[in-house]
Amino acid sequence: MTEEKIVVANKGLIRADFAFWVGQYMNKFYDAFENKKIIGNKCPKCGDVFVPPRKICGKCNKTILLDQNWVDLPDTGILKNYTITYYKINDRASRKVKKPQIIGMVQIDGSNTAIIYRLINIETGEVKIGMKVKVEWEEKTKGDPSDIKGFVKV
Amino acid sequence: MERVAIVGYNQVKLYSNANYGRYEMIFEAVRGALDSAGLKKKDITTVVSATNDYYDGRTISNSLTVEPGGGYLADESKIEMDGAHAVLYGLMRVLSGNHKLAVVWGGSMASVFPYHTTRLYETDPTWERPSTFVNDVTSAGFQMRAYMEKFDVTAEDIAKIAVKNRKNAARNPLALVEAQNPNLTVKEVLESEVYSDPVTELMVAHPCDGVAALLLAPEKQARKITDNPVWITGVGFNQETYYLGDRDLSMSKSMEFAAEVAFKAAGIKDPKNQIDVAELFEAYAHEELILTEAIGFADKGKGADLNTEIGGDLPINPSGGALGGNPLCATGLIRIIEAVKQIKEEAKGYQVNGAKTAIASGQIGMCAQNNILYVLEGGE
Repeated sequence: MTEEKIVVANKGLIRADFAFWVGQYMNKFYDAFENKKIIGNKCPKCGDVFVPPRKICGKCNKTILLDQNWVDLPDTGILKNYTITYYKINDRASRKVKKPQIIGMVQIDGSNTAIIYRLINIETGEVKIGMKVKVEWEEKTKGDPSDIKGFVKV
Repeated sequence: MERVAIVGYNQVKLYSNANYGRYEMIFEAVRGALDSAGLKKKDITTVVSATNDYYDGRTISNSLTVEPGGGYLADESKIEMDGAHAVLYGLMRVLSGNHKLAVVWGGSMASVFPYHTTRLYETDPTWERPSTFVNDVTSAGFQMRAYMEKFDVTAEDIAKIAVKNRKNAARNPLALVEAQNPNLTVKEVLESEVYSDPVTELMVAHPCDGVAALLLAPEKQARKITDNPVWITGVGFNQETYYLGDRDLSMSKSMEFAAEVAFKAAGIKDPKNQIDVAELFEAYAHEELILTEAIGFADKGKGADLNTEIGGDLPINPSGGALGGNPLCATGLIRIIEAVKQIKEEAKGYQVNGAKTAIASGQIGMCAQNNILYVLEGGE
Protein backbone atom coordinates (compact mmCIF):
# COMPACT_ATOMS: atom_id res chain seq x y z
CA MET A 1 0.00 0.00 0.00
CA THR A 2 1.25 3.46 -0.80
CA GLU A 3 1.61 6.00 1.93
CA GLU A 4 -1.50 7.98 2.80
CA LYS A 5 -1.37 11.38 1.12
CA ILE A 6 -2.87 14.21 3.10
CA VAL A 7 -3.83 17.60 1.75
CA VAL A 8 -4.51 20.35 4.26
CA ALA A 9 -6.88 22.29 2.11
CA ASN A 10 -7.01 25.66 3.83
CA LYS A 11 -3.53 26.07 5.21
CA GLY A 12 -2.47 29.67 4.62
CA LEU A 13 -4.37 29.93 1.34
CA ILE A 14 -7.78 31.16 2.35
CA ARG A 15 -8.81 33.51 5.09
CA ALA A 16 -12.46 34.48 5.36
CA ASP A 17 -13.34 35.58 8.88
CA PHE A 18 -16.95 36.30 9.67
CA ALA A 19 -17.73 39.55 11.50
CA PHE A 20 -21.16 39.07 13.05
CA TRP A 21 -23.36 42.04 13.87
CA VAL A 22 -24.75 41.16 17.28
CA GLY A 23 -28.13 42.79 16.71
CA GLN A 24 -29.95 45.54 18.57
CA TYR A 25 -30.75 43.55 21.70
CA MET A 26 -27.25 42.16 22.25
CA ASN A 27 -25.86 45.59 21.46
CA LYS A 28 -27.63 47.01 24.52
CA PHE A 29 -26.53 44.02 26.58
CA TYR A 30 -22.87 44.52 25.68
CA ASP A 31 -23.13 48.28 26.20
CA ALA A 32 -24.14 47.50 29.78
CA PHE A 33 -21.09 45.22 30.10
CA GLU A 34 -18.92 48.29 29.48
CA ASN A 35 -20.34 49.74 32.70
CA LYS A 36 -20.00 46.38 34.47
CA LYS A 37 -23.76 45.91 34.54
CA ILE A 38 -26.00 43.02 33.54
CA ILE A 39 -29.37 43.66 31.98
CA GLY A 40 -32.06 41.33 30.77
CA ASN A 41 -35.47 41.68 29.20
CA LYS A 42 -38.85 40.39 30.21
CA CYS A 43 -41.54 38.60 28.23
CA PRO A 44 -44.69 40.74 28.46
CA LYS A 45 -46.82 37.60 28.61
CA CYS A 46 -45.18 34.99 30.87
CA GLY A 47 -42.87 37.36 32.73
CA ASP A 48 -39.73 35.26 32.19
CA VAL A 49 -36.58 37.38 32.34
CA PHE A 50 -33.95 36.53 29.76
CA VAL A 51 -30.19 36.90 30.06
CA PRO A 52 -28.91 37.53 27.44
CA PRO A 53 -31.92 39.55 26.27
CA ARG A 54 -33.80 38.45 23.19
CA LYS A 55 -36.42 39.62 20.79
CA ILE A 56 -38.75 36.66 21.05
CA CYS A 57 -40.03 34.56 23.93
CA GLY A 58 -40.02 31.08 22.42
CA LYS A 59 -42.54 29.71 24.89
CA CYS A 60 -45.12 32.47 24.24
CA ASN A 61 -44.09 33.21 20.63
CA LYS A 62 -44.28 36.87 21.62
CA THR A 63 -42.14 39.80 20.56
CA ILE A 64 -40.40 41.72 23.31
CA LEU A 65 -40.15 45.26 21.97
CA LEU A 66 -36.74 46.86 21.85
CA ASP A 67 -37.73 49.95 23.82
CA GLN A 68 -39.65 48.09 26.52
CA ASN A 69 -39.34 45.55 29.30
CA TRP A 70 -35.65 45.97 30.09
CA VAL A 71 -34.66 44.82 33.57
CA ASP A 72 -31.58 45.90 35.50
CA LEU A 73 -30.10 42.88 37.21
CA PRO A 74 -27.38 42.38 39.80
CA ASP A 75 -24.11 40.69 38.85
CA THR A 76 -24.78 37.90 41.33
CA GLY A 77 -26.40 34.55 40.75
CA ILE A 78 -26.82 30.91 41.68
CA LEU A 79 -24.70 28.09 40.27
CA LYS A 80 -27.22 25.77 38.61
CA ASN A 81 -24.83 23.28 37.02
CA TYR A 82 -21.15 22.83 36.25
CA THR A 83 -18.66 20.66 34.43
CA ILE A 84 -14.91 20.37 34.74
CA THR A 85 -13.04 20.07 31.51
CA TYR A 86 -9.48 18.89 31.03
CA TYR A 87 -9.15 19.77 27.37
CA LYS A 88 -8.71 22.93 25.39
CA ILE A 89 -11.97 23.25 23.54
CA ASN A 90 -10.82 25.52 20.70
CA ASP A 91 -7.77 23.49 19.81
CA ARG A 92 -7.36 21.34 16.73
CA ALA A 93 -5.31 18.73 18.51
CA SER A 94 -7.57 18.70 21.60
CA ARG A 95 -4.58 19.25 23.88
CA LYS A 96 -4.98 18.81 27.60
CA VAL A 97 -4.90 21.91 29.76
CA LYS A 98 -2.49 22.25 32.68
CA LYS A 99 -5.22 23.24 35.12
CA PRO A 100 -8.77 21.94 34.64
CA GLN A 101 -11.33 24.60 33.78
CA ILE A 102 -14.52 24.68 35.82
CA ILE A 103 -17.35 25.83 33.61
CA GLY A 104 -20.52 26.88 35.35
CA MET A 105 -24.11 27.52 34.37
CA VAL A 106 -25.18 30.55 36.37
CA GLN A 107 -28.69 31.88 36.84
CA ILE A 108 -28.33 35.63 37.36
CA ASP A 109 -30.52 36.69 40.30
CA GLY A 110 -33.85 37.90 38.99
CA SER A 111 -33.60 36.02 35.70
CA ASN A 112 -35.15 32.74 34.51
CA THR A 113 -32.32 31.49 32.31
CA ALA A 114 -28.71 30.51 32.91
CA ILE A 115 -25.49 31.63 31.24
CA ILE A 116 -22.26 29.72 30.80
CA TYR A 117 -18.94 31.05 32.09
CA ARG A 118 -15.80 29.88 33.83
CA LEU A 119 -15.67 29.69 37.64
CA ILE A 120 -12.44 31.22 38.90
CA ASN A 121 -10.45 31.39 42.14
CA ILE A 122 -12.06 28.18 43.32
CA GLU A 123 -10.83 24.61 43.79
CA THR A 124 -12.76 21.78 42.15
CA GLY A 125 -13.70 20.29 45.54
CA GLU A 126 -15.40 23.50 46.65
CA VAL A 127 -17.87 23.71 43.78
CA LYS A 128 -21.46 23.00 44.81
CA ILE A 129 -24.67 23.35 42.85
CA GLY A 130 -26.81 26.04 44.49
CA MET A 131 -23.86 28.14 45.67
CA LYS A 132 -23.96 31.91 45.35
CA VAL A 133 -21.57 33.40 42.81
CA LYS A 134 -20.69 36.85 41.51
CA VAL A 135 -19.22 38.23 38.29
CA GLU A 136 -15.53 39.04 38.30
CA TRP A 137 -15.25 41.86 35.75
CA GLU A 138 -12.16 42.67 33.75
CA GLU A 139 -10.63 45.91 34.94
CA LYS A 140 -10.92 47.49 31.50
CA THR A 141 -14.13 46.56 29.72
CA LYS A 142 -14.67 46.51 25.96
CA GLY A 143 -18.36 45.78 25.66
CA ASP A 144 -18.05 42.16 24.60
CA PRO A 145 -18.34 38.69 26.20
CA SER A 146 -14.72 38.80 27.39
CA ASP A 147 -15.57 41.59 29.89
CA ILE A 148 -16.68 38.86 32.26
CA LYS A 149 -13.51 37.17 33.50
CA GLY A 150 -15.63 34.56 35.20
CA PHE A 151 -17.70 33.95 38.30
CA VAL A 152 -16.30 33.78 41.82
CA LYS A 153 -17.97 32.46 44.95
CA VAL A 154 -19.58 35.05 47.21
CA MET B 1 -52.48 7.05 2.83
CA GLU B 2 -50.14 4.66 1.05
CA ARG B 3 -47.66 2.85 3.26
CA VAL B 4 -43.91 3.17 2.80
CA ALA B 5 -41.42 0.38 3.36
CA ILE B 6 -37.70 0.04 3.79
CA VAL B 7 -36.71 -2.37 1.03
CA GLY B 8 -32.92 -2.41 1.23
CA TYR B 9 -30.02 -1.17 3.29
CA ASN B 10 -26.27 -1.23 3.66
CA GLN B 11 -23.70 0.09 6.07
CA VAL B 12 -19.93 0.12 5.64
CA LYS B 13 -17.65 -1.11 8.41
CA LEU B 14 -16.87 1.74 10.81
CA TYR B 15 -13.25 2.84 11.18
CA SER B 16 -11.54 5.48 13.28
CA ASN B 17 -9.45 6.15 10.18
CA ALA B 18 -10.90 4.44 7.15
CA ASN B 19 -7.94 5.37 4.99
CA TYR B 20 -9.99 5.22 1.84
CA GLY B 21 -11.77 8.01 0.06
CA ARG B 22 -15.17 9.20 1.13
CA TYR B 23 -16.59 8.71 -2.37
CA GLU B 24 -15.61 5.06 -2.36
CA MET B 25 -17.26 4.73 1.02
CA ILE B 26 -20.47 6.41 -0.18
CA PHE B 27 -20.53 4.26 -3.30
CA GLU B 28 -20.00 1.09 -1.28
CA ALA B 29 -22.96 1.98 0.97
CA VAL B 30 -25.37 3.06 -1.77
CA ARG B 31 -24.43 0.41 -4.32
CA GLY B 32 -24.62 -2.20 -1.55
CA ALA B 33 -28.13 -1.06 -0.61
CA LEU B 34 -29.25 -1.39 -4.24
CA ASP B 35 -27.63 -4.81 -4.49
CA SER B 36 -29.37 -5.94 -1.29
CA ALA B 37 -32.69 -5.26 -3.02
CA GLY B 38 -31.66 -6.53 -6.44
CA LEU B 39 -32.07 -3.06 -7.94
CA LYS B 40 -30.11 -0.92 -10.38
CA LYS B 41 -29.13 2.75 -10.65
CA LYS B 42 -31.97 3.34 -13.15
CA ASP B 43 -34.52 2.30 -10.52
CA ILE B 44 -33.65 5.28 -8.31
CA THR B 45 -36.10 8.14 -8.68
CA THR B 46 -34.92 10.40 -5.86
CA VAL B 47 -31.92 10.73 -3.54
CA VAL B 48 -31.71 12.42 -0.13
CA SER B 49 -28.31 12.67 1.52
CA ALA B 50 -27.24 13.74 5.01
CA THR B 51 -23.87 15.42 5.30
CA ASN B 52 -22.54 18.50 7.06
CA ASP B 53 -20.56 21.23 5.32
CA TYR B 54 -18.44 21.88 8.41
CA TYR B 55 -17.66 18.19 8.83
CA ASP B 56 -16.88 17.81 5.13
CA GLY B 57 -14.75 20.96 5.05
CA ARG B 58 -16.51 22.57 2.10
CA THR B 59 -19.79 24.23 1.24
CA ILE B 60 -22.61 22.46 -0.60
CA SER B 61 -20.75 19.29 0.16
CA ASN B 62 -23.21 17.09 -1.74
CA SER B 63 -22.10 18.67 -5.02
CA LEU B 64 -19.18 16.25 -5.08
CA THR B 65 -21.16 13.17 -4.06
CA VAL B 66 -23.46 13.07 -7.07
CA GLU B 67 -22.03 9.95 -8.72
CA PRO B 68 -21.28 7.74 -5.70
CA GLY B 69 -24.56 8.67 -3.98
CA GLY B 70 -26.72 7.62 -6.94
CA GLY B 71 -27.74 11.18 -7.74
CA TYR B 72 -26.18 11.36 -11.22
CA LEU B 73 -28.82 12.92 -13.49
CA ALA B 74 -31.39 12.27 -10.79
CA ASP B 75 -33.47 14.27 -8.36
CA GLU B 76 -31.15 14.83 -5.38
CA SER B 77 -30.93 17.04 -2.33
CA LYS B 78 -29.17 17.08 0.98
CA ILE B 79 -30.09 17.83 4.56
CA GLU B 80 -27.58 19.03 7.09
CA MET B 81 -28.81 16.93 9.98
CA ASP B 82 -28.68 13.31 11.04
CA GLY B 83 -29.29 10.56 8.49
CA ALA B 84 -32.46 9.70 10.41
CA HIS B 85 -33.82 13.11 9.43
CA ALA B 86 -32.94 12.44 5.80
CA VAL B 87 -35.17 9.36 6.00
CA LEU B 88 -38.09 11.65 6.89
CA TYR B 89 -37.48 13.69 3.73
CA GLY B 90 -37.22 10.49 1.68
CA LEU B 91 -40.45 9.28 3.26
CA MET B 92 -42.25 12.52 2.36
CA ARG B 93 -41.06 12.34 -1.22
CA VAL B 94 -42.34 8.80 -1.57
CA LEU B 95 -45.64 9.79 0.07
CA SER B 96 -45.99 12.60 -2.47
CA GLY B 97 -46.78 9.85 -4.96
CA ASN B 98 -44.07 10.99 -7.35
CA HIS B 99 -41.39 8.47 -6.48
CA LYS B 100 -40.99 4.74 -6.70
CA LEU B 101 -37.61 4.44 -5.05
CA ALA B 102 -35.83 6.82 -2.71
CA VAL B 103 -32.19 6.35 -1.77
CA VAL B 104 -31.29 7.86 1.59
CA TRP B 105 -27.65 7.97 2.59
CA GLY B 106 -25.61 9.77 5.22
CA GLY B 107 -22.13 9.82 6.59
CA SER B 108 -18.84 11.57 7.18
CA MET B 109 -15.20 11.05 8.01
CA ALA B 110 -14.35 12.25 11.51
CA SER B 111 -10.73 11.22 10.92
CA VAL B 112 -10.07 14.25 8.74
CA PHE B 113 -11.19 17.08 11.03
CA PRO B 114 -11.28 17.98 14.75
CA TYR B 115 -14.89 17.08 15.54
CA HIS B 116 -15.29 18.42 19.08
CA THR B 117 -13.65 21.71 18.09
CA THR B 118 -15.86 22.00 15.03
CA ARG B 119 -18.92 21.73 17.25
CA LEU B 120 -17.98 25.21 18.51
CA TYR B 121 -19.35 26.49 15.20
CA GLU B 122 -22.75 25.32 16.34
CA THR B 123 -22.75 27.80 19.23
CA ASP B 124 -24.15 31.33 19.06
CA PRO B 125 -21.43 33.39 17.30
CA THR B 126 -22.50 36.60 19.03
CA TRP B 127 -22.53 35.23 22.56
CA GLU B 128 -21.12 31.80 23.44
CA ARG B 129 -18.70 31.08 20.63
CA PRO B 130 -16.11 33.77 21.43
CA SER B 131 -15.61 32.46 24.97
CA THR B 132 -15.27 28.83 23.74
CA PHE B 133 -16.77 27.10 26.76
CA VAL B 134 -19.55 25.26 24.97
CA ASN B 135 -19.03 22.31 22.69
CA ASP B 136 -20.67 18.90 22.57
CA VAL B 137 -18.44 17.50 25.31
CA THR B 138 -18.85 20.25 27.91
CA SER B 139 -22.58 20.43 27.24
CA ALA B 140 -22.75 16.66 27.77
CA GLY B 141 -20.99 17.24 31.11
CA PHE B 142 -23.81 19.61 32.08
CA GLN B 143 -26.44 17.19 30.83
CA MET B 144 -25.06 14.19 32.72
CA ARG B 145 -24.71 16.20 35.93
CA ALA B 146 -28.24 17.64 35.58
CA TYR B 147 -29.63 14.11 35.17
CA MET B 148 -27.68 12.68 38.10
CA GLU B 149 -28.52 15.58 40.43
CA LYS B 150 -32.22 15.70 39.63
CA PHE B 151 -32.91 11.99 40.10
CA ASP B 152 -30.07 10.81 42.35
CA VAL B 153 -28.71 8.62 39.59
CA THR B 154 -25.11 7.42 40.12
CA ALA B 155 -22.20 7.53 37.69
CA GLU B 156 -22.14 3.72 38.03
CA ASP B 157 -25.68 3.52 36.61
CA ILE B 158 -24.50 5.49 33.60
CA ALA B 159 -21.25 3.56 33.23
CA LYS B 160 -23.34 0.38 33.02
CA ILE B 161 -24.87 1.67 29.79
CA ALA B 162 -21.40 2.17 28.32
CA VAL B 163 -20.48 -1.39 29.38
CA LYS B 164 -23.65 -2.88 27.87
CA ASN B 165 -23.34 -1.03 24.56
CA ARG B 166 -19.62 -1.67 24.12
CA LYS B 167 -20.21 -5.36 24.92
CA ASN B 168 -23.03 -5.47 22.39
CA ALA B 169 -20.80 -3.73 19.86
CA ALA B 170 -18.31 -6.58 20.27
CA ARG B 171 -20.99 -8.85 18.72
CA ASN B 172 -21.55 -6.48 15.80
CA PRO B 173 -18.96 -6.98 13.05
CA LEU B 174 -19.63 -3.52 11.57
CA ALA B 175 -19.00 -1.65 14.84
CA LEU B 176 -15.86 0.38 15.46
CA VAL B 177 -13.07 -1.95 16.63
CA GLU B 178 -11.92 0.58 19.25
CA ALA B 179 -15.45 0.66 20.70
CA GLN B 180 -15.85 -3.12 20.97
CA ASN B 181 -15.02 -4.60 24.35
CA PRO B 182 -16.65 -7.81 25.58
CA ASN B 183 -14.87 -7.66 28.94
CA LEU B 184 -15.34 -4.02 29.87
CA THR B 185 -16.15 -3.26 33.51
CA VAL B 186 -17.99 -0.38 35.17
CA LYS B 187 -14.78 0.48 37.03
CA GLU B 188 -12.85 0.82 33.77
CA VAL B 189 -15.49 3.16 32.37
CA LEU B 190 -15.43 5.35 35.48
CA GLU B 191 -11.64 5.36 35.57
CA SER B 192 -11.17 6.16 31.89
CA GLU B 193 -9.96 9.66 31.13
CA VAL B 194 -12.22 12.48 32.26
CA TYR B 195 -13.38 14.43 29.21
CA SER B 196 -15.68 16.87 30.91
CA ASP B 197 -16.56 15.82 34.42
CA PRO B 198 -18.61 13.69 35.04
CA VAL B 199 -18.33 12.41 31.44
CA THR B 200 -15.42 10.03 30.91
CA GLU B 201 -13.87 8.83 27.67
CA LEU B 202 -15.69 5.51 27.51
CA MET B 203 -19.08 7.22 27.94
CA VAL B 204 -18.56 9.11 24.68
CA ALA B 205 -19.84 7.81 21.34
CA HIS B 206 -16.62 8.41 19.49
CA PRO B 207 -16.85 10.11 16.11
CA CYS B 208 -15.56 7.87 13.33
CA ASP B 209 -15.64 7.29 9.58
CA GLY B 210 -18.62 5.63 7.99
CA VAL B 211 -21.55 5.81 5.59
CA ALA B 212 -24.90 4.05 5.54
CA ALA B 213 -27.73 3.91 3.02
CA LEU B 214 -31.28 2.63 2.86
CA LEU B 215 -34.01 2.41 0.25
CA LEU B 216 -37.63 3.51 0.61
CA ALA B 217 -40.47 2.44 -1.65
CA PRO B 218 -44.25 2.84 -1.69
CA GLU B 219 -46.27 -0.27 -0.81
CA LYS B 220 -47.05 -1.45 -4.34
CA GLN B 221 -43.45 -1.14 -5.43
CA ALA B 222 -42.12 -2.56 -2.15
CA ARG B 223 -44.08 -5.77 -2.63
CA LYS B 224 -42.49 -6.22 -6.07
CA ILE B 225 -39.00 -5.75 -4.64
CA THR B 226 -39.11 -7.90 -1.52
CA ASP B 227 -41.17 -10.53 0.27
CA ASN B 228 -40.49 -9.05 3.69
CA PRO B 229 -40.61 -5.27 3.62
CA VAL B 230 -40.29 -3.38 6.89
CA TRP B 231 -42.97 -0.72 7.23
CA ILE B 232 -42.54 2.73 8.68
CA THR B 233 -45.71 2.92 10.76
CA GLY B 234 -44.97 6.06 12.74
CA VAL B 235 -42.55 8.95 12.92
CA GLY B 236 -42.29 11.90 15.28
CA PHE B 237 -39.89 14.82 15.19
CA ASN B 238 -39.39 17.61 17.70
CA GLN B 239 -36.89 20.14 18.94
CA GLU B 240 -36.11 22.24 21.97
CA THR B 241 -34.67 25.70 22.29
CA TYR B 242 -31.01 26.28 21.52
CA TYR B 243 -29.79 27.87 24.78
CA LEU B 244 -28.68 25.19 27.24
CA GLY B 245 -29.46 27.56 30.12
CA ASP B 246 -33.12 27.66 29.08
CA ARG B 247 -33.53 23.88 29.10
CA ASP B 248 -34.07 21.26 31.76
CA LEU B 249 -31.20 19.01 30.70
CA SER B 250 -32.25 16.19 33.02
CA MET B 251 -34.94 15.15 30.57
CA SER B 252 -35.73 15.23 26.86
CA LYS B 253 -38.91 17.12 26.12
CA SER B 254 -38.26 16.89 22.38
CA MET B 255 -38.15 13.08 22.57
CA GLU B 256 -41.31 13.01 24.69
CA PHE B 257 -43.19 14.92 22.00
CA ALA B 258 -41.59 12.99 19.13
CA ALA B 259 -42.58 9.70 20.77
CA GLU B 260 -46.14 10.89 21.38
CA VAL B 261 -46.60 11.67 17.68
CA ALA B 262 -44.87 8.50 16.44
CA PHE B 263 -46.78 6.21 18.78
CA LYS B 264 -50.10 7.80 17.94
CA ALA B 265 -49.49 7.21 14.23
CA ALA B 266 -48.48 3.60 14.85
CA GLY B 267 -51.32 2.92 17.30
CA ILE B 268 -48.95 2.19 20.17
CA LYS B 269 -50.58 2.76 23.53
CA ASP B 270 -48.26 0.82 25.80
CA PRO B 271 -44.73 1.29 24.42
CA LYS B 272 -43.03 -0.89 27.01
CA ASN B 273 -45.11 -3.92 26.11
CA GLN B 274 -45.76 -3.30 22.43
CA ILE B 275 -42.18 -2.58 21.40
CA ASP B 276 -39.74 -5.48 21.19
CA VAL B 277 -36.45 -3.68 20.63
CA ALA B 278 -35.12 -0.13 20.47
CA GLU B 279 -32.12 1.39 18.72
CA LEU B 280 -31.53 4.86 20.17
CA PHE B 281 -28.92 7.43 19.17
CA GLU B 282 -27.09 8.06 22.45
CA ALA B 283 -24.22 10.45 21.77
CA TYR B 284 -23.23 9.89 25.40
CA ALA B 285 -24.07 6.97 27.72
CA HIS B 286 -26.38 9.02 29.95
CA GLU B 287 -28.46 10.08 26.95
CA GLU B 288 -29.66 6.51 26.51
CA LEU B 289 -31.29 6.68 29.95
CA ILE B 290 -32.75 10.15 29.34
CA LEU B 291 -34.20 9.03 25.98
CA THR B 292 -35.47 5.74 27.45
CA GLU B 293 -37.44 7.71 30.03
CA ALA B 294 -38.70 10.27 27.51
CA ILE B 295 -40.04 7.46 25.31
CA GLY B 296 -41.99 6.13 28.28
CA PHE B 297 -40.14 2.85 28.91
CA ALA B 298 -39.44 3.93 32.50
CA ASP B 299 -40.40 6.65 34.95
CA LYS B 300 -38.13 9.70 35.12
CA GLY B 301 -34.87 8.84 36.82
CA LYS B 302 -35.66 5.11 36.73
CA GLY B 303 -34.26 4.20 33.31
CA ALA B 304 -31.32 2.40 34.89
CA ASP B 305 -33.69 -0.07 36.61
CA LEU B 306 -34.85 -1.45 33.27
CA ASN B 307 -33.01 -4.55 31.98
CA THR B 308 -32.05 -3.47 28.46
CA GLU B 309 -29.56 -6.23 27.65
CA ILE B 310 -30.13 -8.50 24.66
CA GLY B 311 -32.53 -11.02 26.20
CA GLY B 312 -33.62 -8.48 28.84
CA ASP B 313 -37.06 -6.94 29.41
CA LEU B 314 -36.60 -4.44 26.60
CA PRO B 315 -33.35 -4.66 24.64
CA ILE B 316 -31.93 -1.24 23.81
CA ASN B 317 -29.08 -0.83 21.34
CA PRO B 318 -28.31 -4.53 20.81
CA SER B 319 -26.01 -3.40 17.97
CA GLY B 320 -23.95 -1.34 20.40
CA GLY B 321 -25.72 1.90 19.58
CA ALA B 322 -23.79 5.05 18.85
CA LEU B 323 -21.28 4.01 21.52
CA GLY B 324 -20.35 1.27 19.07
CA GLY B 325 -19.26 3.97 16.61
CA ASN B 326 -20.57 7.42 15.73
CA PRO B 327 -20.10 8.23 12.03
CA LEU B 328 -21.64 11.72 12.07
CA CYS B 329 -24.70 12.12 9.84
CA ALA B 330 -24.97 8.32 9.54
CA THR B 331 -25.45 7.36 13.19
CA GLY B 332 -29.25 7.75 13.36
CA LEU B 333 -29.62 6.18 9.93
CA ILE B 334 -27.69 3.17 11.22
CA ARG B 335 -30.09 2.95 14.19
CA ILE B 336 -32.95 2.59 11.68
CA ILE B 337 -31.02 -0.01 9.69
CA GLU B 338 -30.27 -1.94 12.89
CA ALA B 339 -33.96 -1.90 13.82
CA VAL B 340 -34.76 -3.20 10.32
CA LYS B 341 -32.19 -5.98 10.78
CA GLN B 342 -33.84 -7.02 14.04
CA ILE B 343 -37.27 -7.23 12.41
CA LYS B 344 -35.88 -9.20 9.45
CA GLU B 345 -33.89 -11.44 11.79
CA GLU B 346 -30.68 -10.40 10.10
CA ALA B 347 -28.89 -9.15 13.23
CA LYS B 348 -26.46 -12.04 13.31
CA GLY B 349 -24.76 -12.33 16.69
CA TYR B 350 -27.03 -9.83 18.46
CA GLN B 351 -30.51 -10.86 17.33
CA VAL B 352 -33.37 -10.19 19.75
CA ASN B 353 -35.75 -13.14 19.67
CA GLY B 354 -39.15 -12.45 18.17
CA ALA B 355 -38.55 -8.79 17.34
CA LYS B 356 -41.58 -7.66 15.33
CA THR B 357 -42.00 -4.04 16.36
CA ALA B 358 -38.95 -1.85 16.76
CA ILE B 359 -38.20 1.81 17.30
CA ALA B 360 -35.15 3.76 16.15
CA SER B 361 -34.10 7.31 16.87
CA GLY B 362 -31.80 10.00 15.51
CA GLN B 363 -30.73 13.26 17.06
CA ILE B 364 -28.88 16.47 16.42
CA GLY B 365 -27.70 19.46 18.43
CA MET B 366 -26.15 20.04 21.81
CA CYS B 367 -27.56 17.68 24.46
CA ALA B 368 -29.82 16.07 21.83
CA GLN B 369 -31.68 19.32 21.17
CA ASN B 370 -33.59 17.67 18.35
CA ASN B 371 -34.88 14.10 18.31
CA ILE B 372 -36.62 12.01 15.67
CA LEU B 373 -38.25 8.66 16.38
CA TYR B 374 -39.47 5.95 14.00
CA VAL B 375 -41.74 3.00 14.62
CA LEU B 376 -40.93 0.08 12.31
CA GLU B 377 -42.91 -3.09 11.85
CA GLY B 378 -42.62 -6.25 9.83
CA GLY B 379 -45.38 -8.51 8.55
CA GLU B 380 -48.20 -7.78 6.16
